[in-house]
Amino acid sequence: MAVKKDYKDQVLVEKLRDRKYYIPDSNPEFIKEVEKIGLTPAHMCYQCGTCTGSCPSAPRSSYRIRLFMRKAILGLEDEILTDPDLWLCTTCYSCTDRCPRDLAPTDVIMAMRNLAARRDIVPRNFLKTTQLIYNTGHGVPNNDANRAARLKLGLEADPETTHKYPEFLVGIRKLLDHYGLKEKADRILAEGE
Amino acid sequence: MSNHKYAFFLGCIAPNRYPGIEASAIKTSEKVGIELLPLKGASCCPAPGAFGAIDLNIWYAMAARNVVLAEQMGVDITLICNGCYKSIYEVNEKLKHNDELRDGVNEVLKEIDMEFKGTIDVWHLAELYYDPKIVGLKKIADSVTRPLSGVKIAVHYGCHLMKPGKERHFGDTENPMWIEELVEALGAEPVQYRNKMLCCGAGGGVRGFDLVHSLDITNEKMINLQEVGADALTEVCPFCQLQYDRGQIEIEDKFGITWGLPVLHYNELLGLAQGMSPDELALDLHAVNVEPFLKKIL
Amino acid sequence: MAELKKKEEPKIGVFVCHCGTNIAGSIDIKAVMEYAKTLPNVAIADDYQYMCSTPGQNKVVEAIEEHKLTGVVVAACSPRLHEPTFRGATKLGGLNPFRFEMANIREQNSWVHMHQPEEATEKAKDAVRIAVAKASLLEDLIPKSVPVEQAAMVVGGGVGGMQAALDLANAGIKTYLIEKEPSIGGRMSQLDKTFPTLDCSQCILTPKMVDVARNENIELLTYTEVEAVEGYIGNFDVTLRKKARGVLTTEEAEARGFVGGGCNGCGDCEDVCPVIRPNPFELGMAPMKAIYVYHPQVSPLLYTIDFDSCVKCNLCVDICGDKKAIDLNAVDEFETVKVGSIILATGYDIFPIEEKHEWGYKNYDNVITSLEFERLICASGPTGGHLIRPSDGAVPKKIAFVLCAGSRDNTGVGKPYCSRFCCMYSLKHAHQIIEKIPGAVPYIFYMDIRSFGKMYEEFYYRIQDEGAKFIRGRVANILEDPVTKNLHVNAEDTLLGRPIDMEVDMVVLAAAVQPSAQTEATRRLFGVSCSQDGWLLEAHPKLNPCGTTTAGVYLAGVCQGPKDIPDTVAQAEGAASAASIPIHRGEVELEPYFAVCLEDICAGCGMCINLCPYQALSLIEKDGRTVMHVTEAKCKGCGTCGGFCPGGAIWMQHFTTPQIVAQIDAFLLGGEQ
Repeated sequence: MAVKKDYKDQVLVEKLRDRKYYIPDSNPEFIKEVEKIGLTPAHMCYQCGTCTGSCPSAPRSSYRIRLFMRKAILGLEDEILTDPDLWLCTTCYSCTDRCPRDLAPTDVIMAMRNLAARRDIVPRNFLKTTQLIYNTGHGVPNNDANRAARLKLGLEADPETTHKYPEFLVGIRKLLDHYGLKEKADRILAEGE
Repeated sequence: MSNHKYAFFLGCIAPNRYPGIEASAIKTSEKVGIELLPLKGASCCPAPGAFGAIDLNIWYAMAARNVVLAEQMGVDITLICNGCYKSIYEVNEKLKHNDELRDGVNEVLKEIDMEFKGTIDVWHLAELYYDPKIVGLKKIADSVTRPLSGVKIAVHYGCHLMKPGKERHFGDTENPMWIEELVEALGAEPVQYRNKMLCCGAGGGVRGFDLVHSLDITNEKMINLQEVGADALTEVCPFCQLQYDRGQIEIEDKFGITWGLPVLHYNELLGLAQGMSPDELALDLHAVNVEPFLKKIL
Repeated sequence: MAELKKKEEPKIGVFVCHCGTNIAGSIDIKAVMEYAKTLPNVAIADDYQYMCSTPGQNKVVEAIEEHKLTGVVVAACSPRLHEPTFRGATKLGGLNPFRFEMANIREQNSWVHMHQPEEATEKAKDAVRIAVAKASLLEDLIPKSVPVEQAAMVVGGGVGGMQAALDLANAGIKTYLIEKEPSIGGRMSQLDKTFPTLDCSQCILTPKMVDVARNENIELLTYTEVEAVEGYIGNFDVTLRKKARGVLTTEEAEARGFVGGGCNGCGDCEDVCPVIRPNPFELGMAPMKAIYVYHPQVSPLLYTIDFDSCVKCNLCVDICGDKKAIDLNAVDEFETVKVGSIILATGYDIFPIEEKHEWGYKNYDNVITSLEFERLICASGPTGGHLIRPSDGAVPKKIAFVLCAGSRDNTGVGKPYCSRFCCMYSLKHAHQIIEKIPGAVPYIFYMDIRSFGKMYEEFYYRIQDEGAKFIRGRVANILEDPVTKNLHVNAEDTLLGRPIDMEVDMVVLAAAVQPSAQTEATRRLFGVSCSQDGWLLEAHPKLNPCGTTTAGVYLAGVCQGPKDIPDTVAQAEGAASAASIPIHRGEVELEPYFAVCLEDICAGCGMCINLCPYQALSLIEKDGRTVMHVTEAKCKGCGTCGGFCPGGAIWMQHFTTPQIVAQIDAFLLGGEQ
């Protein structure tokens, strides 16, 4: 456990905060959970940095996929799941393609996003996509301007999807409700307002 | 002459933002012997990044539902979007080969009287165009009535079609050339540029989460494309198209840089080469003006 | 020997080893010992702290005498470790050494069931019961001796093969040195300098090449490959293919009646040859003629014609004139030689690093391999030792070295192992460019610098001091600037935690090594196993690193696994020593685990003949019947034939059917026989 400093000055408390890594701060189960969801043996990472070197997000941000791999192995669950950088992976899979240990760092990130979502940590745009799919079947639904354009092309105003056959939405909603996803999206989005 | 029938999985962005991609897919494929059957009641694939990030299990189940719709028709799926390809192809393969995942998904699908059986395959329309057993370059070239001669076209492969390479079947993912060959079949000149395999920047929910971050990646691509004087960029993913097309407007807005590089889905290019008019392709819906490009070829 | 012997009353002694706490830590030794006393045929059971110690062995010796034992069981470690020890004790006690049976209660029990003492004890009881059942049926076996041919063969004429051949020859043994290329020297002759001493590679190699060529006990056969191998330790018949060289030695010329003729290495033929093709010795970076020598120091100094490219224009024949050294109608010739032992030193190739697409080898002009670097920096190389960029001939100033290029790679494309000498030669390369090119900076992208050898870490220190830059990160990919042909190396400096895009003039890939192309075919000819990654398999990784599981065949150098020159030479000397032992002894004892044909039952169907992996079986006529015959010296006792024989007519000595059935019964029936 980190040394607690009861200094009067809160600024100094933060400035001099104990930054050591302590075993009790880590959750050894975390990496196992990540591997179960991500379907990749993440604990085999040997920290070569091929992933970060391949990453389109790394040069323009503080996002370091290698560090996420390291922290996952060390079980630094809280640090990972509350880090906004977790959401900067474009899932381009370049790291996965090149990883010499044959791991899928991209899927490790996806798994950790899933675990963050269990704690209700999800960026709003992700939740809005969920709501749209629940309501329309589409993450990017049709609109009137597009309907007009479609008609001009000789297509029907609505495509042969849930748009044209909304009766299929019943099944889709059952699937989403099975996981309580719509409720979760509504709740988190409402809390944020 | 259409002896190859596929269930046509539309996704979201093609039908709902760039309907010209849908229209050209139907018309161009017909001319090379492919019949696209409507996949009634399909939904969002669902978006692998934006949706899978919240819960991969729902992603598996929702994608499986789309696959089962085609299983019930007894035909393979073809599609025109890399994001859709990742969801539909990858979930289909995962469920075929991972009993535990399949059982879990079927447990949930039971609630809507569906079962994933693993009886069909999933293809990107572009790979069917390239595959000599289905269409092949020669048939594509033979279908061209208006060669796109005199234009330099750069190719953006996108990420989710070919990567991760070991879970796909497209060979080299560092410097692939097969879409360039498809471009060449239309009479255009494919051009190579720096860091061709760079991501468009939109995926993984990043476009929605941090727009300027995603646009900065897009802008890097634009710099590399301008360097070689490309007349247009082509891709096989409406989401990449959205990022490059609307993204240029957003880049202008956020960064004050104007590129004006027309971006066309390969189906739209093929449509033009097969004689479809810009109106039949709704090219006016593109954010970046396609006119300068059209002037060179019409 | 094959018929069932008259039953004697079995009296078995059982000895249970504590192995300190290795066994006693999880197995109740006393319980196992007491249990053994209750088993049928057991005359005495005892235990001891370390059965392999002298007092432990004495217990066996004394018990044999005291209790008139017919068989001995020791429950201890793996027979691979101490079976010879206890066979010795059994023999000392007056029994045939094959009257001994070992129960493994350590590797297969206490070590793997460390936390289940009760179950482990029960399993140990099972193991002892099974061993006693077998020991009760053991028979006297007499090993056979066969004479050993007083000659050896070394396959591969690199530095390892040369050293092995020299050692054998200097020990007085006639040695055939077989090399597939026209000259000996191998990879080492392609290198410029060697780490960490910076000796010129050719300078230290050529004296050895001369020694080999001059040694009276060495018969050097270059441009020769192994075609077929028959026989066994002491008596190998090796058929060699002497590839058509098209050029006669002075001896060969003399044999044809051209006294004073034959190739003298003058090179006139090379001058007139009109054919130009890539030079494989220079990795395709220089041209060569159809009639060629690789470099001035070749041994033997003898030209060779590449008949794949030769147009048979006869210009060389004309210029050679009275020497009559050239024969354009030459064909491959075959020769069979007899040797007693064999050393394989077949070396390595560079992994085809272009298969790792991300680094662009063969796609980008200025990405080269380390071996190409060696030729480019070497004074005798295609550029006379001036390092230049292939794209434009410019002298590179910023050079990136990519370590672990295809090594430590679990993707299935590269190699999972460490290639072991790339770190060190890359440090040497860094030194060479600092030394040769003023202002040049080497950037070494590494994951770990593995400088494990004598004076290696000190060499690392020196190169760092000389100005090499080290970046701890594996290279993700390389992109080429289409205009300048400069290269952008993308990686992460993992110590800084920052991505790097470094523009350099040239990239050198320290590509992984893999077994040479001929290794697989060669090992099959000699019946040698390989490990999963293709390297030839030693008999034991620690205690028998030069031997193989095929008696009489030994390994030297990189064919057994990546190693640098000192390790290769050391192993070659070890292999030479090992290979000389059977030759000096003059005869070898064969383990008596042969298959035995019960000729009364054998139907002569011959189905076993082709199953035998060692060609040890044949059909013979005996008393008017066709029966199977075992060449005992070839048989390894693998049991393939015995397991298959539809009539049950083949027994494996020491693993006879009744013995195995008794073991199974003892296990299943809990001791009731």
